[in-house]
Amino acid sequence: MARILIVDNCEIIRNLLTDFLEELGHTVETAIHGQDGIDKALNNEYDAVFCDIHMPKKNGYQVYVEVSGKKAALPFIMTDSLPDDLANMAVSRGAHTCLSKPFTLEQVRTALSEIFIKDTADESR
Amino acid sequence: MNLRKLLNNLTLRAKFIIPISILLAASVTTISSYLLDRQADGFRKELEASGETRIRMLAHSAESGVIFENIYELEDILNTLAQFEDVQFASISDVENSILTEFGTEPAGLVVDHRFHSYDRDTDKCNDFYGNDINDEEFLEFNYPIETRKEEIGRENLGLTAGLEGGQYTTETVGHLRLILQLDKVQEAISDSMITATVITIVVVILTILGLAWFVGVITKPIKSLVEVTDQVSRGDFSKRAELKQQDEIGHLASTFNRMVDSLEQSRDEIEEYNRNLEQKIIERTLELEEIQQQLVQSEKLSAIGQLAAGVAHELNNPLGGILGYSQFTLEKLKKFKERENAPKDIDKFIRYLTDIETQARRCKTIVQNLLRFSRSSRTTDFEDVDINQVVEDTRTFVEHQLHMNNIELEVNLSESLPVIHGNGGQLQQVLTNLIINAMHASPADSIINVFTRYSPPLGEFSGAIEIIVADQGTGISPENLNKIFEPFFTTKMVGKGTGLGLSVSYGIIKDHGGEVKVDSVEGEGSTFVVVLPVKKESSESDTEDSSEIANRQEK
Ligand SMILES: Nc1ncnc2c1ncn2[C@@H]1O[C@H](COP(=O)(O)OP(=O)(O)OP(=O)(O)O)[C@@H](O)[C@H]1O
Ligand SMILES: [Mg+2]
Repeated sequence: MARILIVDNCEIIRNLLTDFLEELGHTVETAIHGQDGIDKALNNEYDAVFCDIHMPKKNGYQVYVEVSGKKAALPFIMTDSLPDDLANMAVSRGAHTCLSKPFTLEQVRTALSEIFIKDTADESR
Repeated sequence: MNLRKLLNNLTLRAKFIIPISILLAASVTTISSYLLDRQADGFRKELEASGETRIRMLAHSAESGVIFENIYELEDILNTLAQFEDVQFASISDVENSILTEFGTEPAGLVVDHRFHSYDRDTDKCNDFYGNDINDEEFLEFNYPIETRKEEIGRENLGLTAGLEGGQYTTETVGHLRLILQLDKVQEAISDSMITATVITIVVVILTILGLAWFVGVITKPIKSLVEVTDQVSRGDFSKRAELKQQDEIGHLASTFNRMVDSLEQSRDEIEEYNRNLEQKIIERTLELEEIQQQLVQSEKLSAIGQLAAGVAHELNNPLGGILGYSQFTLEKLKKFKERENAPKDIDKFIRYLTDIETQARRCKTIVQNLLRFSRSSRTTDFEDVDINQVVEDTRTFVEHQLHMNNIELEVNLSESLPVIHGNGGQLQQVLTNLIINAMHASPADSIINVFTRYSPPLGEFSGAIEIIVADQGTGISPENLNKIFEPFFTTKMVGKGTGLGLSVSYGIIKDHGGEVKVDSVEGEGSTFVVVLPVKKESSESDTEDSSEIANRQEK
């Protein structure tokens, strides 16, 4: 199963995603703001990152740009409470998708399966 | 320079008359003075000839008188000159030049002015000249020798012997004859002619000037009348025309001018008409502007609400995410528990509670999303080619179940000749859903909701439009509510049933498409909503492919 990093300053979302993803059998770590997210993503190995947009220290777009600059292959799922340009920009630069809050568990499942199917497809090639 | 200036300032008439008169006077004067000269010459020649003739005759008849020194005879001869008025003086002298007799008074101090040649050139006997006396009066003097012929030797007693044959003779000068004539008569005749010539010249010039004045008047009169009309026109009076019938250049000028005035008058009338129209237009535009201003106020209101909504949404979405996620999560778990043998009895109740929570959380999500549509960032401008009939079909499948539950029939009539339009299919579907659900809420059971599409093809500047019509047989809308239904949060529905955002969101979406929403409603009979969408294609402005992709995902 996969190692997943959750970056969100909102505790309830961190908890929800942690519980849900662990239930699915993944290993989950969390970061509580942008800078925290960057540090963890660069210093540890993950298979996917959930990343909020509006956060203190560094916003989600900055997190995505810094991390993907060094780890281009790491898939990002942006989560956003407001449909705005930052999420769009991240997606246009290569983030996998953006889920607008409040998202359903179904949306989370779909996004993850898209990533991992793509991964296995990449590996089998 | 000054002369030219002067000439330029003269009237047309003076310009014609003055130079022509001067030229004419000059030429008439030149011609008549030339003729006068000729005439004076003629007089003199005549006088010369008559003087010559007379002196010859005198010389001839004085021959014997001189030879015999018969003074009386000579006096008689000279006295015959008294019959001629022009004789001033005459004298006969002998060979030694001592005067034998004389007639008249000799002019004092006569000096030769110029000689002239008599016609008797071969003998150089004469010595004729014009001269002036001390009073500067002019005289004509003739000198002629008095000669005698000696024909035959035998007949003469002078003792000259020569081998001359018969019939031959020699001439001998025996005296001199002198005749001086006055030129008074000639002078008089000349000055007479001069006066006549001058008078004729003056008369001719005056007559010519009068004739010219009349003639030039004939030419310039039409010009003058043209000038008068021009004057009037220049003062803005277009009522008069130059009335000239002639076919010459001036007539042509006049008719050209008339045509010019015609078109001037026409343009002036047009301009006045424009001005009048302009006023009308200004009034219309002012009204339009007022309307736009009201719309602006409205949209200001909306954008303030949008900003507020964005803030609220941001704050609300996180906890809402927690509620929605956890209720779903728990629900899933409970459903799994339920399948176990030792499941608690109340588990169905819990599942129902959580389902309610989940449903209400989804509803909150919808409300927040509706709110967000007011904020600019939530508006997608992701336009593509949209088939409106397809949008209607999609909406039908979406709402059919609900309508069926309420015993309401949906009748759809689609125009077959709709062109595609440039728009956002998802948003248009949202609008149509709103309208149909509103109609459903207003409709009694067993009634019909009509949805149909219609195409108005382009005509002139109008580039064509598609209309989507949603008509119900429901309660209708009261006139006082008719103005308010597009306002955000205006609803007549019970708390929890309507947010009052449906129509204002729909209105915004249709405005984004460059279209409009019209309502026609009679209380108690039903309402008809018409969505008009322009067909004119506009390329989407700032959107990149990527951002449209995101927009699509957000819709999910
Ligand atoms: N077809 C209709 N017949 C009668 N009344 C209508 C109709 N459509 C709209 N209305 C009136 O206009 C009001 C505003 O409609 P709107 O769609 O904006 O809000 P709503 O339907 O009340 O709430 P929401 O659509 O947000 O759930 C409605 O409450 C209703 O009074
Ligand atoms: Mg509604």
